[in-house]
Amino acid sequence: MKHRTLALLLGLLLVLAACGDDGGEETTTTVTTAPPTTTGGTVRIGWGGAPADLNPGIGVLIEDYTLYELVYNTPISLDLDGNYVPELATDWYVSDDDLVWTMKLAEGVTFHDGTPLTSEDVKFTLELYRDTEDFVFMPSYFDGDEVIEAPDPTTVTITKEVPTGSFEGRMVFMYILPKHIWENEDPATFDNAAMIGSGSFKLTEYRQGEYLRLAANKDYWGGAPIVDEVIFQTFENADARVQALINGDVDMVTEFPATAIPTLEANPNITVATGEPLAPDLTDIIFNVTEPEDCPADDGICTGHPALRDLQVRRALAQAVDKQQLITTLLLGLGTPGRAIVPTGLGVWFNDALEDYAFDLNEANRLLDEAGYLDTDDNGIRECPAAMDCGDRPELRFRLNYPEDSDTAPRLAQTLADWWQQIGVDLQIQVLDSDTLTSVCCPSFDYDVIIWGWGSDPDPGFLLSVLTCEEIPTGTNESGYCNPEYDALYAAQQAETDLDTRVAMVHEMQQILMDDLPYIIPFCALSSQAYRNDRFVGWRDDATKLALEDPTSLDVIRPAG
Amino acid sequence: MRGWARFRRSKMGMIGAVMLLVAVVVAVFAPWLAPYDPYAPSSPTIEDIYAPPSGEHLLGTDDGGEDVLSGLIYGSRVSLIVGFSAATISLLIGGLIGLVAGFRGGRVGNLLMRITDFFLVIPDIALQIVIVAIVGQSLRNIILVIGVLGWTPTARLVRAQTLTVRERKFVLRARAVGGSDRYILRRHVLPQVLPLMLANTVLEISLAILAESTLAFIGLGDPTLISWGQMLNFAFTRGAVSAGAWWALIPPGLGIVWVVLGTTLLGNALEELLNPRLGRHFLEKEPPTQATPGTAPEQPELLLSIKDLKVTFEVGAAPVVAVDGVSLDVCRGEAMGLVGESGCGKTTTMLAALRLLPPGGAIAGGNIWFEGRDLAALRPNELRPMRWRQFSMVFQGAMNALNPVKTVGWQIAEAIRQHEPTVTADEAAARAGHLLETVGIGGDRAGDYPHEFSGGMRQRAMIALALACGPGLVVADEPTTALDVMIQAQIMDLLAALRAELGMSLVLITHDLGVVAESCDRAAVMYGGVVVEQGTIAEVFRDPQHPYTRLLLAAFPDIDQPDRPLASIPGTPPRLDEIPPGCRFAPRCPHAFERCHTERPPAYPLGPRREAACFLVERTWQGVTDG
Amino acid sequence: MRGRGLRAPPPISLMTRGSLFLRKIIWALITIFVVITFNFFLFRVLPGDPAKAGVKDPRLSPQAVAALQQRFGLDKPVLFNTQGGNLFDSQYFRYLGALAQGDLGTSYAYKSRPVTSMLGRALVNTLWLVLPAQILAIVLGVLLGLVAAWRRGTKLDVSALIFALFTWALPTFFLGILLLFVGSRYLGLPTGGRITIGADYASFWATAGDVLRHLLLPTLTFALVLLGEYMLIMRSSVVEVFSEDYILTAKAKGLTTFQIIRRHAFRNAMLPIVTLIALNLGFTVSGAIQVETVFSWPGLGKLTVDAVAQRDYPLLQGAFLMLAVSVVVANLVAELVYLRLDPRVTEV
Repeated sequence: MKHRTLALLLGLLLVLAACGDDGGEETTTTVTTAPPTTTGGTVRIGWGGAPADLNPGIGVLIEDYTLYELVYNTPISLDLDGNYVPELATDWYVSDDDLVWTMKLAEGVTFHDGTPLTSEDVKFTLELYRDTEDFVFMPSYFDGDEVIEAPDPTTVTITKEVPTGSFEGRMVFMYILPKHIWENEDPATFDNAAMIGSGSFKLTEYRQGEYLRLAANKDYWGGAPIVDEVIFQTFENADARVQALINGDVDMVTEFPATAIPTLEANPNITVATGEPLAPDLTDIIFNVTEPEDCPADDGICTGHPALRDLQVRRALAQAVDKQQLITTLLLGLGTPGRAIVPTGLGVWFNDALEDYAFDLNEANRLLDEAGYLDTDDNGIRECPAAMDCGDRPELRFRLNYPEDSDTAPRLAQTLADWWQQIGVDLQIQVLDSDTLTSVCCPSFDYDVIIWGWGSDPDPGFLLSVLTCEEIPTGTNESGYCNPEYDALYAAQQAETDLDTRVAMVHEMQQILMDDLPYIIPFCALSSQAYRNDRFVGWRDDATKLALEDPTSLDVIRPAG
Repeated sequence: MRGWARFRRSKMGMIGAVMLLVAVVVAVFAPWLAPYDPYAPSSPTIEDIYAPPSGEHLLGTDDGGEDVLSGLIYGSRVSLIVGFSAATISLLIGGLIGLVAGFRGGRVGNLLMRITDFFLVIPDIALQIVIVAIVGQSLRNIILVIGVLGWTPTARLVRAQTLTVRERKFVLRARAVGGSDRYILRRHVLPQVLPLMLANTVLEISLAILAESTLAFIGLGDPTLISWGQMLNFAFTRGAVSAGAWWALIPPGLGIVWVVLGTTLLGNALEELLNPRLGRHFLEKEPPTQATPGTAPEQPELLLSIKDLKVTFEVGAAPVVAVDGVSLDVCRGEAMGLVGESGCGKTTTMLAALRLLPPGGAIAGGNIWFEGRDLAALRPNELRPMRWRQFSMVFQGAMNALNPVKTVGWQIAEAIRQHEPTVTADEAAARAGHLLETVGIGGDRAGDYPHEFSGGMRQRAMIALALACGPGLVVADEPTTALDVMIQAQIMDLLAALRAELGMSLVLITHDLGVVAESCDRAAVMYGGVVVEQGTIAEVFRDPQHPYTRLLLAAFPDIDQPDRPLASIPGTPPRLDEIPPGCRFAPRCPHAFERCHTERPPAYPLGPRREAACFLVERTWQGVTDG
Repeated sequence: MRGRGLRAPPPISLMTRGSLFLRKIIWALITIFVVITFNFFLFRVLPGDPAKAGVKDPRLSPQAVAALQQRFGLDKPVLFNTQGGNLFDSQYFRYLGALAQGDLGTSYAYKSRPVTSMLGRALVNTLWLVLPAQILAIVLGVLLGLVAAWRRGTKLDVSALIFALFTWALPTFFLGILLLFVGSRYLGLPTGGRITIGADYASFWATAGDVLRHLLLPTLTFALVLLGEYMLIMRSSVVEVFSEDYILTAKAKGLTTFQIIRRHAFRNAMLPIVTLIALNLGFTVSGAIQVETVFSWPGLGKLTVDAVAQRDYPLLQGAFLMLAVSVVVANLVAELVYLRLDPRVTEV
């Protein structure tokens, strides 16, 4: 949950992705070993948060979306290996001019109340999501030019005026709602307490902040789950959660501190699984590189230290960060070193050919010496070269801010301060709440260095847009980085519909960022989950991504023995 | 430095002071004591995270691979800085407001107190959380918030103390001679209030430390500092329990307990020192009585016969003898006056006789024969059925002797039903009403509470209570003191009438010789814990043998000789721990000679139930025995 | 002093006591009013003005912002509207008006959810936790204090004293973690939640047992922390009462120790405890925050902490108001109980 507030504040990046894929006629990678010998049972899941909104339009928490995945269907879903797979839409085509998208819907789909799900419901839902301004994220998946039609009960067409690439990526969040219920409600305020969907589970009881109970939808059109019931219980404290698993009070926990892994692994009845989080995320160290001419006219204060605009200084700082050490200390090894702004978990989009800066304090010192940043007054902190105008801040003394809701940032900040001190750079650490951090960050650019993070969509488009010149005044561009070459590539890849060409462009953009260093990405965290192997078996813990609370697992697990 | 001496005797206070001192020393010398510098850069490996205690890390390592012992040592700095600084802020604000409110009084004072009361109802932890979350979680802000929000108790305390000081003589005098407010505050009020303020501040320190650790625990501590609360927060949020890393949890927790306990003990001891409370009470287990074996006197007319009674009190280390060999007889139907100055052991003798000694007092020898049984030798549960039914007592100061939250009638009825279980509640209530009427209070007042009665009425109610079970003996301790003359007379008449009617015996403890002369048959004079003279009223009043009796009589106005000058006795009765070796009255006696100072005079029997303890009467006594 | 003959059956004239009751209630109402006003200005003065922050909050839609502005009257002056028109058409009086209708606004973080109902739910959960703990702490603390005072100076007294001081010095959350550690690791007790969800127990007793198992650790934590103070106060209160002259009278009357305690000492010794219970409500809140955090208990304390973390100002403001008002009410109740317990009280 550490990025929750961030996700809230920074708009549509939303930490969510995959959808359930469920039997049916489509091909999935689900490995069904043998027909279940035992059925039924209640699965108890311990997690740290709790859904806050049952209305998919206004939900913002990760837990909200876990619930939507179980109760609703989407036209297309993302499997645990990052592929788009059919769900409600058994098939889809894009017209040659990239302007008309056609989806064929599965037949015999019904909502929990027995009403059939038809193309009318899909049309209604998509239009609702597009047009309801009070919905938090949904409208951003539309450009506003879509004409949505339902020519027959199993066909939906979306006609656009301007082509865009990522059709599938947009459909994975479209939870299809029953028109006959929602058309009579004010969508922005509807509490959706009955939560009628078409998914493999039905919500039976919901206690805000305590627990929720879901009954298996035994009439599920895509093949009913084997278990009878799933209970999600909130244990805010990680130790309480882990202990509940050890005691057998719960059968699975969705998150726990890495420090618990040795204890859990020592227990023969418990299996620990590690994998990429469903929504890849990254932690970033942001430099304020705003040039005076790019400073936003309205909101800009732009007090960044001039030395940070010197690439040589940023290179030195990058060489004074030991990413592996950070992963060891902060994540107990459960993470991968990051490179540019595309997270390692984004599959093909991640450019793993990028060469990272080696941790080398001597080299870092040499770079600074070479660039003329010397400690002339011998106080351990370097000064700007005489030729450079550093105003009233001649020393390399940077402000470092981070959000208070991060549990890794405090130790990260302390460690950075220790390293950078050894290359003559001093940090003044101050924790800020997310609101204040936003207000010093951008578009005011009233900071030097910030530790923050991003969660990613399955498509890298949004994260790449963060570093375009256009986003400087909007506040989405946090570093003030502006490079016309990069912007040109960004525009080109957005319009590109050929996957390989686009991948190449995205990789090139990452190389540019790696060279220019507006950010240092210390790591992308992995997630770990654990379950009782003596209670239920068949958990999907073998894919690239790990989400045992997803329908991909809950639909197929069965009682052990 | 008497305070210091007393403080050193307070075991708990000393322990607290030492605990706090240890914490302060650790905090000051942290860099020398800690094996590692927790603020220095380190590059732990996975094995270093939550490593159990070892030679390298005596208390293991935490979630960041840092040495717990070093964190513990450095953490004391934050706790103590927050504790002391916040308490100082509370002291300054609360002290100022309390002083002004108490010294000024009136509208300003009232308004200030209303504001204080108002802040008292605001849940300060919630306010602290809100403010720290909003203004930012730096050490300075945390200190300010805890300090500024913690002033209310200090203000209330200081105000109360200032109010009492303000009415003291020296302040009134200073004000009368025109001392300015500032002068009076600085010279007279502050020195009186300051010690209590400081004691209270010590307690505030512990509250501030707890508040800091709570804030740190819920993630609102200063993230750049190592504090105990912060360590616990890290351990708790980063899986110490799951990892089984008790060493990351217990030491910082015990660190907090150590400092809080130390300051609490110290603060309590200081407060106790400045504001001593009674430590003892009436229901403590009675010490075993040391009754001297003996046989009951075989005179049927004797109701109470005290023989050679010795009473000791625990004062400090060695017990002091408060009553030393007192022998007294009370016959059936007889009234005896027990007279003497205050502090001569009259009340103690009779309380001991009825086995009602206050805590610390013990019967160290002698016998108390009552109806053939030795009260000094009875066990409490043998004694209990006899109480009130056979002997009762009218206590001095009836205001406090009656339970303020029970009606007077109920308290009388309770005694009746206790000893006569067959009596119904209604009957007992009726009898209580009747008894109140007997003592001249309308029976309809039975439902009143003691505070609704006047002083005289309470005294009568007490007498009614004493008579409730028709006892053979009533001991009345100064029943008329502090009452006006009219009421005194009424009450004494009442007692006389009742005695005549009910045929009971009465022991009247008083320093008022006139009352004794009028209402008693016999008198015994006590001085310094012994009976110096006893006999009939006529004998003692007309022919006093002991110089003390004579001086007492001379000090008392005589209706027959109103013009006789009153002679007060110079000096005071001896302190119980400084009893002179010879005659106890010798230092004040105008007739004392050498022997009086070295040898204790025995009680010389001068006739039937007539005796005096003075060497001056030895010759008379010899005459009596010879004759 | 009241004259004779006017006496009605209750010990003290209804008029005197009645007007005292009334005065207390009026004073409590004034305090609540001041609390409300303070609450209003606190959240206006601090940098995180809920109204202003709310309008800037990117989570809110333009419509919601407009609704907020309307509700808070943000276009209006803060205290008095001196720009013509209605003098009371200001932010402050709008706030009062909304409050009078039980409207504490809508949560930011949990959209579409009125603060009032969120607080109500959390309060019920907190009471589940606080009431048993308070009762346990009061009963045990009072008994222990009584016995310690009665057997003053004995080993029993000293050990009770040390125990009480130690629990007093324990930070609530620390004790909670310790009990969580021991209780869940070695006793297999549940580590969170109020019941075993979805469990279908055959009998009422099985259900009750389940509830008790869940309540045990949090309640024990809370009770132990409260216990020490009750015990210490009760002990000194009892020693004081036991050294009153009327106790000697009662002993002289031939009552047994038990009778003396029951009829004469207990009620009087309880008077300071009554005050303490009410004053402790403020502490109960802080204790609840800590216990609920440790044991994942969805009560008021956790709601407050979450509201802080999420900068959910309407929720925070509401929670704050509710806490303050409940302390005022508890103090009022304590004072009224005091009045009933002690017939002497006729002043202030």
